[in-house]
Parts: sequence; structure tokens; C-alpha cells
Amino acid sequence: MAINKAVLPDTDRNLEKLYEEFVTRARALGAEVYRVPNLAQARELVGRLIQEMGVRKVALAESPLVTALDLATAVAGAGAEVTGGNPRERAEAADLGISSFEMAIAETGTLVQDATEINRRLVSMLPPVHLALVPTNRLVGTLQEAINSLAARGQIPGYLAFVSGPSRTADIERVLTIGVHGPGKVVIIFVDGGGSAGE
Amino acid sequence: MSKTALRQATREALANASVCSALGRFADNYVIAREQAYRHKDFEGLRREVARIKREAAERMEELADQFTREATRRGATVFRAATAQDAREYIARLARSRGIKTIVKSKSMASEEIHLNEYLKEQGLDAVETDLGEWIIQLSSQRPSHMVMPAIHLSRNEVAEIFSKEIGEPVEPDISSMVKLARRELRKKFLSAWMGISGGNIAVAETGTIVMVTNEGNGRLTTTLPPVHVIIVGLEKLVPRFTDVAPILEVLPRSATAQHITTYVTMITGAVPAVDPDGNYHEKKELHIILLDNGRTRMAGDPVFKEALQCVRCAACLNVCPIYQLVGGVFGDVYTGGIGTVLTAFFTDPQKAQQVQNLCLGCERCRDYCSGNIDLPGLIGELRRRTVEKEGMSYVQRVIFEKVLVNRGVFHRLLKAASRLQKPFTREGKIRHLPLFLAGLTEGRSLPAIAEIPFRERVDRLPRPGRVTDRVAFFSGCLVDFVYPGIGESVAKVLASLGFEMLCPEGQTCCGYPARQVGLTDSFAELARQNIAAFENINAGYVLTACPTCAEALKFLYPQLLADDPVWSKRARALAEKVTDFSSFVFAHREKLVPFMIPLKQKVTYHDSCHLKRRLRVTGEPRQLLIDAGAELVEMTPADLCCGFGGSYSIKFPELSRSVLDRKLQAVLGSGAEVVALDCPGCQMQISGGLDHERRPMRVMHTAEILASCLAGTAQAQDGKNN
Ligand code: SF4
Repeated sequence: MAINKAVLPDTDRNLEKLYEEFVTRARALGAEVYRVPNLAQARELVGRLIQEMGVRKVALAESPLVTALDLATAVAGAGAEVTGGNPRERAEAADLGISSFEMAIAETGTLVQDATEINRRLVSMLPPVHLALVPTNRLVGTLQEAINSLAARGQIPGYLAFVSGPSRTADIERVLTIGVHGPGKVVIIFVDGGGSAGE
Repeated sequence: MSKTALRQATREALANASVCSALGRFADNYVIAREQAYRHKDFEGLRREVARIKREAAERMEELADQFTREATRRGATVFRAATAQDAREYIARLARSRGIKTIVKSKSMASEEIHLNEYLKEQGLDAVETDLGEWIIQLSSQRPSHMVMPAIHLSRNEVAEIFSKEIGEPVEPDISSMVKLARRELRKKFLSAWMGISGGNIAVAETGTIVMVTNEGNGRLTTTLPPVHVIIVGLEKLVPRFTDVAPILEVLPRSATAQHITTYVTMITGAVPAVDPDGNYHEKKELHIILLDNGRTRMAGDPVFKEALQCVRCAACLNVCPIYQLVGGVFGDVYTGGIGTVLTAFFTDPQKAQQVQNLCLGCERCRDYCSGNIDLPGLIGELRRRTVEKEGMSYVQRVIFEKVLVNRGVFHRLLKAASRLQKPFTREGKIRHLPLFLAGLTEGRSLPAIAEIPFRERVDRLPRPGRVTDRVAFFSGCLVDFVYPGIGESVAKVLASLGFEMLCPEGQTCCGYPARQVGLTDSFAELARQNIAAFENINAGYVLTACPTCAEALKFLYPQLLADDPVWSKRARALAEKVTDFSSFVFAHREKLVPFMIPLKQKVTYHDSCHLKRRLRVTGEPRQLLIDAGAELVEMTPADLCCGFGGSYSIKFPELSRSVLDRKLQAVLGSGAEVVALDCPGCQMQISGGLDHERRPMRVMHTAEILASCLAGTAQAQDGKNN
């Protein structure tokens, strides 16, 4: 989705540069990348993507951003349903998993998530498609910066996940094939102002 | 493994087209893709940083293991220190039994291969399924991985289809994308029903008790997420002190392994996290067991030479660029393969086998330039060889040749002269095309040049001299120039003469000793080193020139190392080393004096980078510029720095391998469309011209000195140097 830069007055130049770099890298890895100016448009875009991809069943991993977006309503509004059962069953039955990430690394097109909470790991790994939400202002330049900022936090979370594009293998004849064990499709939505959603 | 068995295995591997083609194809692309992945990155700086971190970690191994244990335990993990492979295997089997677990999923772990875990668990009645696609294929076909990063690279899609159809009991089309889907479907079932997951780890952070894993497929994440019991096996060499040490390792590992900026997934596990078991029950904290595996690592850390191998991050770059690995794959090693594999095999899995496998190293030294851990692998393999010979000895004939003949100049020269007469019946146009009996391998697919009737040493009185002597330079000829290519020596003299240098050839010089070192005979090597040092000591010249990069490497780098502990000789070795330079670098420094005298060559010339010139002396641009100065039209071959496969006595030990490496080189040479191949090494000259002659290709192969001399007709005062 094209973004009109003129309507984003308070994002600084550096962030724009990081975003551009991220988009280039992540697309090269096969991820789809979108950016929206606010929560309302994020909700709208999620609904539209669900319709476009023909998704029927969605698994959500709760997080402050996911809650703020009221995604359960958006899913229903798009004609899909949120799956039920225990956490494994919910994720395994879904065509699409949605979770939010806390950091994005521009130089490698990588998203970083504290995935200690089990649902986040399940919905980002079991369904064939994953939709990742990330606040735009959480972009950092390099892997080194990301590691340093994690180290500076004090306690390292129990399970940290760095994700760069869809699951891939080249184990047969070195031919690149997408979607072996994890999602074959990764859609990333950068949400401007998403960082204030209590993340 | 016996030597014959090893040779048999290499022959079979060479005959297996899919090993050669998949590895070769990957290797060709790898170098270019890797280069791109490192764009805007300072590889040298990064690997020095990695080496620094890992060196520190190896020195503090025990302390870091303790710290790691404390931290991981504090975060809810159970840490087990396994001294041996057996300890580790038993721990896992016991754990499974005590929890009533039967189904296990595994993600790729070289440490688990090292301890032969799968076989053991199977014996114990446990079903452990590999979930990395390559590893699963390997497991289904009961093979062993041929590559640390790409375990099934030696198998073709057709072979994989056959393996899969056996597993699921129905026909499978050899279509890669549908086979990947099949694997996803089949393995997903295993993931969802497994009660234990076993994984490896790429980094273990002592400060935080964190295990870092890099994967692409996502099986690592599923293995560490789904089963309620998770076992990590990690070697002690994976420890690093600080969390921030992770960054430089993560920068080099994927770039060097598969030319990726980062792997799809990087997972960092610190302590026990929640899980939901196959029955749907939620566990606030899963069971996390971390096995810190020693199995030879402490011994390695205590070894003054081999502790360097602990700097390895298992990127497998050394395999990817190895010309021999590209040809024979997994035959070159055991559980761990390739150059580093040979060293790890000696310490971790099978010392006996390592003694044979080290022979496969060609000595091209290419891996050193690519190593993410900045390890001197060729040096380590040389040391392995030395220790093998020290322990096992070598055949009587070889010993006589090296210890009696080579170190005795008189005998050595008489023998070669006799050989020069004896070879007559086999010689045509200065080339030997067939040799009888056990020597036949030498001329398999390659002609050999005949030994010169008059060696270089007997031509020194008639060398070209400058009209007016401005300075003197000493020349170290080395065996190949002396006995096979005396014309190179004469060309050197001619070029030097036109620059005003008189060339001195000290009489006491002899073989540089590299061949003795190559077979692990350090004493003979040292004896020859001392003879040469003494021969050049009293010569009044500021430079010692060689036209052979291997000799230059010996004189300049290996002698000072070899004699470092000898209070008298170490100083003398260093004094000689300082003066040593190769022909092209020396002439390059004086080229403005040469250019006016040259008659332009006007021919298409391609340049072959000799391994020791490029990798040890770091010379690549100088000879090329000299050729351009000489009026040559320089056309690059790709790859220009691929080894020619000569490797000294290697071509005698493994003629088939040497020949196969040569084939790839000839393809590059012929593909360049040049009329002349230029190079700076008489060994490469022998190998490449022998290969071209055997193929009946009329292309000329010339030393840079010969080319320059041919452009200087008439400028020097003495008679022309002619080859042979
Ligand atoms: S020895 Fe060096 S190049 Fe080889 S695997 Fe280890 S780090 Fe990589």
C-alpha cells in the first residue's frame, strides 16, 4: 500500500531511511511489507488482507497492540472466524496467525519478538501464513544495535525470536523452496503510532 | 580406515556424478554470493573479533561452563556436564525412559551426530525423528551428513524422491516443491505428537545462560516450542562470555555458511518457558535440559597448537571453498568433514581415521582466507600430519628418499641426473606422456615435463649479465627451476640484467624442504632449512629472489616458524626471511625501468593465481600489471584463483583427485579464450601445461619471467635463455 509521506509529519528522516532499508531487505527475502499511519487504518488493512487472501480461520496471539486494534472484531468483520480449542489446536487449525513484534532491524529485514508466551510462538509458526504487526518507531539500524539494546535491558526474555522472511530450505539440490516447517508467507504491517499502544 | 580404503572411497565419490555436480555448482556460486553478503561489512575486522572472543572463551572454558550452568539453572534449566559421548547419550535415554517418552523430534545438531545419538536411541527403543529436511532425508536413507550445513547436498532430487516413496509407501514425483510439502505434512504429525525435542545450539552465553540457534526451515523453533521436554546438546566450544559477543558471530555465521545476511530464524532461549503438551495441557515451565558436551574439547583447549580449532563457529566456509571437498564431499572427513572436519575428527570422533583423512588436504591454503574464526587451518592440518608421522612413522622408501636423499645435495643431484638419462625412452618433445608400472598414475591425464639434461645450477656461469652492474640480487632456484624449468631461471637473470642487477646463485642451496614438511618430516625439513640459510648468509645482496612461490613461502614464513625455538638459528632464519621476495613483486617495484625496453607482446594472456602466491605472499596485482606493461591483452579466467591440483607429492598420492581438480582448472583456462596462460609458479606450470598437453591443446603456459624475458629480446648482453 502506498503511503503518502506528506501525511506523516512527525516521523523523522532517519526512521524513513531505516524503513526504506527494511522494506528492500524484507522484500528480497520474500516478505510482504505494508505501512499504515494509525491504528484505525491498521485494523482496516488487516480486514482487507483477510478478505483478499481468502482466509477463513485466524489465530490471534494477544498483546497490547493486538488488543488495541480489537482484531477479533476486525476478523469477524472480514467474514472469518477466530479459531477455538487449546492453544495448539487454535494455531494448528488456522489459515492465518497474527502476532505483534517489538523490534525491527533494517539492515537484515528482521523482526524481533519476545516469544516467551506460548501463543506467540504457536501462531507465528504453525499456520501457513503469518501476519506480523510492528510499531514503526521500533525500527533499529543494525543487528548489533538490536543485540546491544536487548543486552541493556537486563534480564533476557526466556524465548527471543528473530524472524526474517518466510520459512525456507535449500536442502534438495540447493534449490530454494519456501514454506517448509514455518509459514510460507509472511506479511508485515508497520503501524505508525503503534508504539503508544502500551507495548 | 586404511589408505587403500580411503583411495577407494575417493574414487567412488569421483564416479558419483551428483556429488560432484551439486557441490561444484554450489561452490562456484558460493564465492560470489558470499562476497555480496559481506558487502558493506568488514569481514577481516569481524573475524578478528570472533577469533578474539572464542580464544578468550577457550582459555576460560571451565570457568564459563560453571557460569553458564549457574545462570541457566537460575532461569529454570537443568544443566548436565557430559564428559564423554557415552555420558551424553545415556543421560538422554535415561531422561526419556524416566518420563515414559517414546516419541522424539530432533532439529539439526552436529553435536548429536558426533555422539551418534540416533543409533543409540534406536537401540534403546526410542523413535527420534530428524526434522531438518536434509537431515531427515539422510536419516531415512541411513546415511551420514556429507556437509555440516547442507547435510544432503550429495543427493539428487530423484534419489530423494525414491527415499521418500519408500518412507510413505507410495510413488513420489521428483518435484522439489511438492517433496518439500510432503516433508512438511509428514513431519508436522511428528512434531505434534512428540513429547521430547532435541536440538543443538550455535552459541551458549555464559553471562546469561542463553542458547542461540540459527535455522532457516523453522524446525528448530517447532522442536523448541511444541514438546514439553526440550534437550539441548551443545559443545563446550560454543560458550562465549557475554551476551554482546553474540553479534559478531551472528554477523559472520550465516554470511559465511550460506551467503545469507541472516538466517530466517534466530532463536535465543534463556531458561524454561511455557509449553502446551500433545494432550493440550498447559505447562507454566517446560522441562529444559542443557547438556554441555566435552568429549575431547578440554583436551583440545589444553593443546598449545590445536586450541586454535576451538575458534571455529561451524560455518563450513572451509568446506565450501575446498577444491577436494567439492569433488569428494563427505569422504573428506568423518562426522565433521573438510579441513576443520579433519582436525575435529582427530579430537572428537575417530583419531585413527583422521590420520588417513588428513592426507586428502591438497595444501592450497584457500580455506584460511575464508575462515570465520580466523583459524590457520592449513597450519593445523600440517601439525596433524607431523604428529601422525611422528607416531606412525612412514614407509621405508619414503623415509629413505626424504631423510637420506633429499638432505644430501650430492646424492639428490646425482639421482636426478640419472633419472634424466633413464627417462629418455619415455620422452617426446620434452614431455613424458606415459610412465611404466606404479608410476603410471603420475601421467594419468597429464603429461610430465622431462627432467632437464643440464640443470640450472650448471648454467649459472653463462647467465645474462647487465652491461653495468648497479646492484646484486641472490636467486633461490628451488628444485623445479633447477631440474625441470632451468629456462625460468635464465629468464629471471635476463630480466634482472636489463634492470642492471647481477644475479648471484649461491652454491650451497638445495631443496627448500617443503616436500619434507608436506609429508610430516619436520627433522628433514629443518635440516634443509639450515643448509639454505647457511648458503645465503654470506652473500652480499639485499634481496633473495625466487621464481617459485612455494619456495618463497618456505624461506619467508615457514623457516622462522620452524626454527623459532632455536636460539641461534631463529635469528639467522629471520635475517634470511626478511630478504626473500618473489620475482613479480621485485620486478614490479622496478618496472618503470623495464617498460622502455619491452617489445609489446600483443597476445591474449590469461593469468592463473598460484595458491601460495596469492594466499601466502598476497601477490595478485603485480604480475598482472607486468603482463599489461609487456603489451599483453589480459583476459581473466573464472575462477582465476582455483587451485590447479598439483600440490607437490599430492599428485602422486591421489592422482585421480589431482587430475579432477586440474580438469576444473583447465575448463577455466580454456574458457578464457587466451593464447597464453601466465603464472608465477613452476609447479602450477608443470600441472597445467601437462593437462593441456594431454588434451592436445596448443595453448602455451609460461612463467611471468619467461614472458617478460621474451619481450626483452636483445637488451641484455649475454645469450638468450632458452627453456631446457
Ligand atoms: S574452520 Fe573456519 S571456515 Fe571452517 S567451519 Fe570453522 S569457522 Fe568456518
